[in-house]
Amino acid sequence: MSEIALKELLYKMADDQLIQGHRNSEWTGMGPLLEEDIAFSSMAQDTIGQSLALYNLLHQLGESDPDTIAFTRNSTQFHNCVLTELPNKEYDFSLIRHFMFDTAQAIRYEALTRSSYLPLSQLAIKIRGELRYHTLHANTWIKQLGSATDESIERLQKSLLYALPFALGIFEESPYEKEIIASGIFEGEQKIKEKWLTQIQKIISQTRLTFPDIDLIQPVIGGRTGKHSEHLQPLLDEMSEVFRIDPTTEW
Amino acid sequence: MNSLDPRVIRLPKIEQEDIISPKIPLDQFGTFEVFVEPKEGKPFQHEGIVHAPNLEMAYILAKEAFTRRFTCTSLYVVDTREVYVSPMTEGENNAYELIPDAKESLNEKTTFEIYHLIKRGKQHVHQGHVAASNPTEAMAIAKTIYNKGKTVFNIWAIQSDKIRFTTQEEKDLWVTLPEKKFRDASDYKGGSKLKAFLEKEK
Amino acid sequence: MYGGGNTFEGIKTDSIQQEDPKRLAEFESRIDRGEKIEPSDWMPALYRKQLIRMIEQHAHSEIIGALPEGTWITRAPGFKRKMALMAKVQDEVGHAQLLYSAAETLGKSREKMIDDLISGKSKYSNVFNYPTYTWADCCFISWLVDAGAIVNQLANAKGSYGPYCRALDRICAEESFHLKYGHHCVIHLASGTQIQKDMFQEALNRWWPPMMHFFGPSDKISIHTDVLMRWKVKMGTNDDMRNQFLDMYVPKIWELGFTIPDPKLGKNPETGRWEYTEPDWEEFKRVINGDGPCNKERLEVRRIAEERGRWVREALKSPQAVYVVPLA
Ligand SMILES: [Fe+2]
Ligand SMILES: [Fe+2]
Ligand SMILES: [Fe+2]
Repeated sequence: MSEIALKELLYKMADDQLIQGHRNSEWTGMGPLLEEDIAFSSMAQDTIGQSLALYNLLHQLGESDPDTIAFTRNSTQFHNCVLTELPNKEYDFSLIRHFMFDTAQAIRYEALTRSSYLPLSQLAIKIRGELRYHTLHANTWIKQLGSATDESIERLQKSLLYALPFALGIFEESPYEKEIIASGIFEGEQKIKEKWLTQIQKIISQTRLTFPDIDLIQPVIGGRTGKHSEHLQPLLDEMSEVFRIDPTTEW
Repeated sequence: MNSLDPRVIRLPKIEQEDIISPKIPLDQFGTFEVFVEPKEGKPFQHEGIVHAPNLEMAYILAKEAFTRRFTCTSLYVVDTREVYVSPMTEGENNAYELIPDAKESLNEKTTFEIYHLIKRGKQHVHQGHVAASNPTEAMAIAKTIYNKGKTVFNIWAIQSDKIRFTTQEEKDLWVTLPEKKFRDASDYKGGSKLKAFLEKEK
Repeated sequence: MYGGGNTFEGIKTDSIQQEDPKRLAEFESRIDRGEKIEPSDWMPALYRKQLIRMIEQHAHSEIIGALPEGTWITRAPGFKRKMALMAKVQDEVGHAQLLYSAAETLGKSREKMIDDLISGKSKYSNVFNYPTYTWADCCFISWLVDAGAIVNQLANAKGSYGPYCRALDRICAEESFHLKYGHHCVIHLASGTQIQKDMFQEALNRWWPPMMHFFGPSDKISIHTDVLMRWKVKMGTNDDMRNQFLDMYVPKIWELGFTIPDPKLGKNPETGRWEYTEPDWEEFKRVINGDGPCNKERLEVRRIAEERGRWVREALKSPQAVYVVPLA
């Protein structure tokens, strides 16, 4: 197994989760219902916690410590998909993104429970329950809001169409795709993308939302190789505003 | 909005006029009672309420509102309106004494969960279940089975099939809870750092 | 988060005369015995009214209090701080949830309470009407404002109303994390670089006056509310609470090498009580009545948050829903 291929996988997963968790944490204290505010914050904490676990694996493989990796790189060095860095907009978009992203997470980690890289399969088994909650939460909200009022259906439909090209970018293949599959570390983006599509469509079919013809949608890729939207750098600047005052001190 | 808070600066502008349109009543929804099992084999205990639009959503929202911190093994919720409540007593008076004796009815029976309050000021704790055709009968039957020992100040009866239980496969929802040390005071021991600092200052 | 303050100012006790003397005596003897009052028990109208007012203000303080610290979630330095602050602010939202529920058992709906907050009819703790300029302000709140809140909350947890006490027991258990986390942050600033030390000293200079206001006006000028003390609604005077806070935390602040911006501050060895420059109660009044540096922003943010969530709530509201008072 080549270490470069493994690190590439860990980096993109960790960056995805850090940025997604960071975005979702912006809702804390401003959610649509007190109880949902709490639930959404918990999931953001889970997601950032999972990214930290991955950065720790990278650290064990010789990369810098998690704080340095997360708080001092600039946007071109981040491997997250563009979906995660998009601004929160209104709750419809935040929910749709949560639904799409966490469904992909659940499927990805389910595959990783069989990874030949033991630390990753252990992590995947451990956080199964966390991801079960995330998808239960997402599916319930989408099913309910997707079949409620004209306004909620219209909002979700719009956000679904807007998010979809970015969501397909989750599955942007790595230059080491063949290698990582051959080594048994990960079964590859193509496979989980298919499972993801089936699962997303299954939930959407239980609502009054319509799922577009997926073949006509052009995925937004580039995130995995550091090509990001204009939204990521400001996010990172904000995230590291205090840390950068003195990256060598303990805060 | 002009602010020191970057999140506030990003907020969309929403004009004051919007609020004048009357809000629908029950904008915060109805309430659901939340019960938690602290340990495998320990009885479920009443913990509080969540506001939620329906039973399934109540379950999802209750999970983080009530079980994000202390370890537990299971959770369930029920609409507040499904909880049948006996009169409340105090002192030596047992609430069961105010429940008329059971008149065995021939109607179809269903299961009711029974809860006791045995210390005023504390929470209701699950006691067991009975088969009855209605809540009054359930309490009367409970009187014959569960009224022994301690004085009971208040009894609740809830029809079991109105409850959203945790399913068998959802049991893993809480497995990583003990590892979430960042939510725990024990993870913030400043002692050694403080000591080193005080030594240096001397 | 909750500070004393004008919660009980100018209450009228006339209504007690209209209460049934037998029931009133039973009610009072239950409290004297140290037993809790539950929602289904008889209670004087004044007791109900003042409890609603107090618990509601406490709940508002939690949800508004999530804002000045919440703004630092996206900027917290490092994973440890980021995750802790997320969990801490989340807890404050959770405290609001628990406290609104406790107040609801007395018959005022959460919806009505939220409306009264946004319209400015209800108050919340004054301390949250001040801005957090730097990370150190956020650390000040996590450690010392929460410490002040804990002094209040521990006292109130011994009060007479069952649902409020139970909510406070849960809250206090979580607060121990807040306090330790906040102290941990400040220890790191104190033992860090000169920039870090200065950062906290400046925050301390800014926050000390609002912190002294936190417990409410001095006993000399606030109206005494014997009946509320007797009914265990109010559990200590403002000055007692303030004194307890100073006793516990001034030495800890000094220990870290910081200077508290009050030359008169010191413990009188004879009385055992702390002496300090009289806080500016005119400013306190001005801020509580809406004229603080952040009052407008705080309420505006709450209003926008409610407005943005409205379509979500409207979509999910079932036509069969009815409001019922929660049970306990
Ligand atoms: Fe607080
Ligand atoms: Fe709090
Ligand atoms: Fe707190």
